[in-house]
Amino acid sequence: MKKSLSMSARKTREAYCFILPAFVYILFVLGYPLLYNVYLSLRDVDVKNLTKGGDVFIGLKNYADLFGNATFRLVLKNTFVFTIACLVFQFTIGFALALFFYQKFSLSGPVRGLLLVSYMIPMSVTGLLGKNIFSNAGLVNNLLSKIGIIGPEWLVNTSTAMIAVIIMNCWVGIPFNMLLLISGLTNISPDVYESASIDGANWIQRFAHITVPLMKGSMLSVLMLGFIYTFRAFDLMYIMTAGGPLNSTDVLGTYSYMLSFTQYKFSMGSAVAMVLFACLFVVGLFYLRLLVKEEED
Amino acid sequence: MKKRLLVAGAAVMAMMAASMTANAEPTEVTLWHYFDASADKEAIVEWVDEYNSIQDDIHITSTYVSRTELMNQYTVGALSGELPDIGMVDSPDMASYISLGVFEDITDQLEEWGELDQFYPGPLTSCKDPDGRIYGLPQNTNCLALACNMDLLEAAGYDHMPASLDEFKEMVAATTNPDDGVYGFAMCCISTEEGTFQLLPWLRSASGGEGVNVDNLTAESAVNGLTVLGDFVSNGYMSKECVNWTQSDAFNQFAAGKAAFAEVGTWHLAMTDAINGAFNYDFCLLPTGDEGTSTSTIGGENFGVCSGAADVDACVDFLEWMCSKEKEAEWAVVAGKIPTRQDSEAEYTYETDGFDVFVEEMNYAQARGPHAEWPSISEAIYTAAQSVFVDGTAPADALAAAMEKITPIVEETPLP
Amino acid sequence: MKKTTGKKEATRNRVKCVIAVVLAVLFLFPVYWMIQISFKSDAETFGKILSYYPREFTFEPWLVNLQDKTFLLSLRNSFINGFLTMGITLLLGVPAAYGMGRYRVRGSSVFLLAFLVSQMLPASLTLTPMYLIFNKIHFLGTHFTAPVAIAAAAIPFAIITLRPYFKSIPIALDEAARLDGCGSFRAFLSVMLPAVKTGIVTIVVISFLNGWNDLVYSMTFNVGETMRPLTANIYKFQNAYGTKWNCIMAYGTILVLPVILLFVFLQKYIVGGLVAGAVKD
Repeated sequence: MKKSLSMSARKTREAYCFILPAFVYILFVLGYPLLYNVYLSLRDVDVKNLTKGGDVFIGLKNYADLFGNATFRLVLKNTFVFTIACLVFQFTIGFALALFFYQKFSLSGPVRGLLLVSYMIPMSVTGLLGKNIFSNAGLVNNLLSKIGIIGPEWLVNTSTAMIAVIIMNCWVGIPFNMLLLISGLTNISPDVYESASIDGANWIQRFAHITVPLMKGSMLSVLMLGFIYTFRAFDLMYIMTAGGPLNSTDVLGTYSYMLSFTQYKFSMGSAVAMVLFACLFVVGLFYLRLLVKEEED
Repeated sequence: MKKRLLVAGAAVMAMMAASMTANAEPTEVTLWHYFDASADKEAIVEWVDEYNSIQDDIHITSTYVSRTELMNQYTVGALSGELPDIGMVDSPDMASYISLGVFEDITDQLEEWGELDQFYPGPLTSCKDPDGRIYGLPQNTNCLALACNMDLLEAAGYDHMPASLDEFKEMVAATTNPDDGVYGFAMCCISTEEGTFQLLPWLRSASGGEGVNVDNLTAESAVNGLTVLGDFVSNGYMSKECVNWTQSDAFNQFAAGKAAFAEVGTWHLAMTDAINGAFNYDFCLLPTGDEGTSTSTIGGENFGVCSGAADVDACVDFLEWMCSKEKEAEWAVVAGKIPTRQDSEAEYTYETDGFDVFVEEMNYAQARGPHAEWPSISEAIYTAAQSVFVDGTAPADALAAAMEKITPIVEETPLP
Repeated sequence: MKKTTGKKEATRNRVKCVIAVVLAVLFLFPVYWMIQISFKSDAETFGKILSYYPREFTFEPWLVNLQDKTFLLSLRNSFINGFLTMGITLLLGVPAAYGMGRYRVRGSSVFLLAFLVSQMLPASLTLTPMYLIFNKIHFLGTHFTAPVAIAAAAIPFAIITLRPYFKSIPIALDEAARLDGCGSFRAFLSVMLPAVKTGIVTIVVISFLNGWNDLVYSMTFNVGETMRPLTANIYKFQNAYGTKWNCIMAYGTILVLPVILLFVFLQKYIVGGLVAGAVKD
């Protein structure tokens, strides 16, 4: 009895040795920024009083103002539309590609590597590329005209600019999802599949009864990470559309940056960033609950 | 011979080095700028070298920092105090940075200098706070005028450039040729300060009366100006893509022969080699209103001494040298700008007629602000224009919506 | 390795290869588009007809970029950013993922939450306060500054993606290691790490790219040519040329090329590593 206790105490100590360095690092680098923003978002700091002082505590007024502001509500909606659309497409297509390239065939390795190229391109360059191929006389409309479709003025209309941005983001996100899901697939022991094929299960059955349950952990983390990265998107819109036209591609990330760094409404910018954070936090808690439940099973 | 010269040179160098160490070390001054066109980015380096060589007390080190980067640095630097000694800033942004405490009040030093009265009031006010204290010097100035593709005008049956808004409307319609992919007009209406810069002349247009300032954009003349531009877009005379174009993009359209007219800046005169003789072009005053009137916006860059600079007097000394009568004239020629002083005479060696037009246009050009919250005013303006171009909102409604945002700002702190 | 025997299997292999090639063409077409524009003349980029290849081939846009005096320095800085971010991430992230995947400790969900949350902070939120705190401890303007900030998001990512890998290692492996007389740390290094090789490779790739692609942190924490990575130059070109597409695309290609080359040379370990993982038996 005593022995097992000391064993577990030693194990706990060991675990902390592995975990704490990263934890302390994160706390040090990100703890202060978080507190700083909470503080800033509850005050009225702007261009007039940032260094001269005289700013006051105004409670939740910034948040109330935000939700009363039509532009902010549009930006919030945009963020969700962008995130959900991107997640749906990049996850399903990424998963399909992962299943395909997970198979053994002559070109599976090299082509899989090639597909990652779009993920390696910095978002700022992707944004420029998007600006080019979605321009009125650009590649996309040229291709469409070849099959007899007159393409829209993608980046100029409020209704189509978001679609163009989503397509560019998926172009980057699909290989990313594929990469993570393939690594997840490789962790399933081939024996499981072999015994299933002996049992005469077809691929749909194998997918539904073996792949999905065994991949649940990876799938969940891929979706979660995808959500986080997409929800806080910034570079792509900043370069490709500057959030326009008329805020139609403005998301919380770009809007908060614009408020803080272009209009010097520091407290407002912080409040927007805190809303972004709060949305992610709720999703994060949800993920955590699923994870804990799954791991208890 | 060559060798002997080298030896002599080395001896002089050694002596200089010896005398340098004998004297006190020169004051180190850091300077950040965002000159990135081929001519001015080289010129600033040469100038700093020249300044360092003509005196021994101050040593300037210049660093290129892109404009976006520099603006971020000012914002975070305002809080931390980590700033260069001398910094460059776009004139409409200066008021915000003065308010943020980025720049040092150098009024006393400049008044002692005694040359302030030589500066044109427009550019100089952008260096002042609402109390009239001065935080820097305008290093160059520019404005907007109209570039015309004379070949396309001729093809449409005109032998002259537009003189009034009505004539301009007619010519833009006549030169548009969708089959050749040619639009009548190109300008920049992007959702940044650049868009506001190019939109303002049309909003301040003096058609049928006085031009107005940005605190009265619901005036009839402003509505009329925006209506003209909105009609250009809806009639297909101007590409809707102008809402994503920067000023360089609009100029590139003109240079490629895809637009008969373009609203261009003074600095574009240093870039006309892009046209490469493909067509004849000329420049005229922006035809924003009745014949004989014009409106334009003042642009340009200022240099200020940043807060916390170790040796403010040394920094001011450099500013005074850089903005001296001779240097102002020299810079204008190198970079394709207009001097900020009336006693400077720039002897342009290229596009001389073009520069004459821009120099004349300066008489009609107005400054933006200065106002600490100019970026918010600016956002209201380009948003109004974009909603007309993109959503087809009625110009009067769009400008009324802009005024809803602008009025509270200018009521709190009026425009000068 | 199995030898393909049946004719049916050979056909299936060929069909899959064709599909793979089609997918690759589809995905890489925008990359081709970028590269071909980079060899077009100014006149052709602004031409009225959209051509799918450069009719008059020119190196001019490349020269404009490569002649930039600070190009090599920026290239070096980008590699420094990439490798340092990767180093910090592996050093701290992998052990933490192991600790969280293999041990049941009290408060593990608090840790997990903390790591999750730390990825949620957008740059607009962290930028200014990080700058202030780094300034206070005199940590601005070093090659480590930006990687330290980037790694703050890359480490949690590594933990969250690697944790399931460590979890899925059979307990038997622990016991085997213990029987061999390995201490916990040695077991971690010599038994556990090789077992999650594919996951580690993924983290290596992604954390390197995080550092390589960073724009906003490098731009804010380091000023001056000696510190600026390639990504930060994008504004220089945008400001100076507008959307002069050939120059911009040459710049984009230059930005991507070193990464692609690196991957080609290390393919044996990276893509190859993934393949090895896929066919491991």
